[in-house]
Amino acid sequence: MKKTLYIFKSGELRRKDNSLYFESEERKKYIPIEDTNDIYIFGEVDVSKRFLEFVSQKEVCLHYFNHYGYYVGSFYPREHQNAGHVVMKQAEHYIDSDKRMTLARKFVHGSIGQMSQVLKYYTGRVGSGTGVLTQLLAQFKDTAKPLADAGSIEEIMAVEGHAREKYYSAFDYIIGNPDFPFEKRSKRPPLNRLNALISFGNSICYTMVLSEVYKTYLDPRIGYLHSTNFRRFSLNLDVAEIFKPIVVDRLIFTLINKKMLTKKDFDKHIDGITLSESGKKTFISELDKRMQTTVNHRHLGKSVSYRRMIRLELYKIQKHILGEKEYVPYQSLW
Amino acid sequence: MDVTGTHIWYYFICKREVWLIAHNIAADQDDENMDIGRFINEQTYQRNKQEVLIGNIKVDRVRREDGQLVIGEVKKSSRYLESSRYQLLYYLQTLKKMGIVARGELLFPEEKRRETVELTSEAERQLDRAVEEIRIIARHPVPPLPEKISFCRNCAYREYCWAEG
Ligand code: SF4
Repeated sequence: MKKTLYIFKSGELRRKDNSLYFESEERKKYIPIEDTNDIYIFGEVDVSKRFLEFVSQKEVCLHYFNHYGYYVGSFYPREHQNAGHVVMKQAEHYIDSDKRMTLARKFVHGSIGQMSQVLKYYTGRVGSGTGVLTQLLAQFKDTAKPLADAGSIEEIMAVEGHAREKYYSAFDYIIGNPDFPFEKRSKRPPLNRLNALISFGNSICYTMVLSEVYKTYLDPRIGYLHSTNFRRFSLNLDVAEIFKPIVVDRLIFTLINKKMLTKKDFDKHIDGITLSESGKKTFISELDKRMQTTVNHRHLGKSVSYRRMIRLELYKIQKHILGEKEYVPYQSLW
Repeated sequence: MDVTGTHIWYYFICKREVWLIAHNIAADQDDENMDIGRFINEQTYQRNKQEVLIGNIKVDRVRREDGQLVIGEVKKSSRYLESSRYQLLYYLQTLKKMGIVARGELLFPEEKRRETVELTSEAERQLDRAVEEIRIIARHPVPPLPEKISFCRNCAYREYCWAEG
């Protein structure tokens, strides 16, 4: 399977012969492009137009993050996969409000399902708070109910927001570490360490889904739950809802509970808190490992990685919009 | 819609694949198996390949025997014999429409085997039916449901078809 390349150093990325070539002060390195799925750039990395042409021809996306680890944007090469029929259908599901809400509800349903799976997983594993988690889980069952009556995207979003609030209230019990209190969700900028982790993890999750969307016929600009304004990507935000709880949140719990990340891995700035470079590296390398973990897939009759699971999810969405088969969001069993 | 030899070939293997190809939905490019073009090529014998272009059809060999044109298609194995046969028949029919009467030969060098293919009126009727049905499949708004067949295992659409669950 192709790999994701993460660059933390500063330097220059170039095309040399038929390979990627990274040159920094300390070292020079060839990276085979045929093996590269996408590139995450955290350092100050210069690229040329020739380089962009090269990655575009090799169908590789670039994702940029600034010095603090905030997502800056992606270089999404001009669509190489193009089937007018699929995009037309995708737009049809956006314009028709019933169709759009059906999909939006499904994403929220899937997201709530995954959040409750996370709660279930930790209910029996926390030191104290089993009682609170059990109770929360029971309440959680009802959070998806209002979806059926929600008559607008805003209402659907509100159901999601409500569920998420409940879900976050469990974090302090799952983590139980005074260095990482949840307090409240703060995004721009994150005001405490846990929020910094959530923000960083989510943005990586969005770009990971975006890289996979690139490999399909779907247009990332047409989302259903997250509104489309054709200036930014939104389908990846929709699909990431299904993966954030099990991919990002569970990773955060593991990293904190196993003390792989501690106070020292964060930097304080005037207006917020972010992961330090070492913190980002730890996070990314563990995430990358996790995404390569394979699980058995009943229908395919083989094991697939979590990364691949994202692709399969997109295929299911494509089938839904083509009218082949109704989309049922992925439900993790662990 | 222009029915091509590729459509004919897949028609005898998987009708769903015909729909997907007709809608320009190419198979997974990263699939470890292969994409469509590569697959067809692998089914075709690579060594000593001397393609001849007649109109818009490409054939592997052309020779003349007893005053008749013989076009030969070299295949790697006879595993997809029916598909290969109809593909060749389709070429013969195309030639006939151009006013060229020809006979066909499927060659399987690795199996030291050769099959003669003749455009009988029965074969033409079946071919016409296949072409007609390919057009119907392509016009259909949704693709035929996947059916698990042995071909799925090596098919680049496999993940797309069986993504559920
Ligand atoms: S995977 Fe099977 S059903 Fe799907 S297109 Fe290939 S052969 Fe047909």
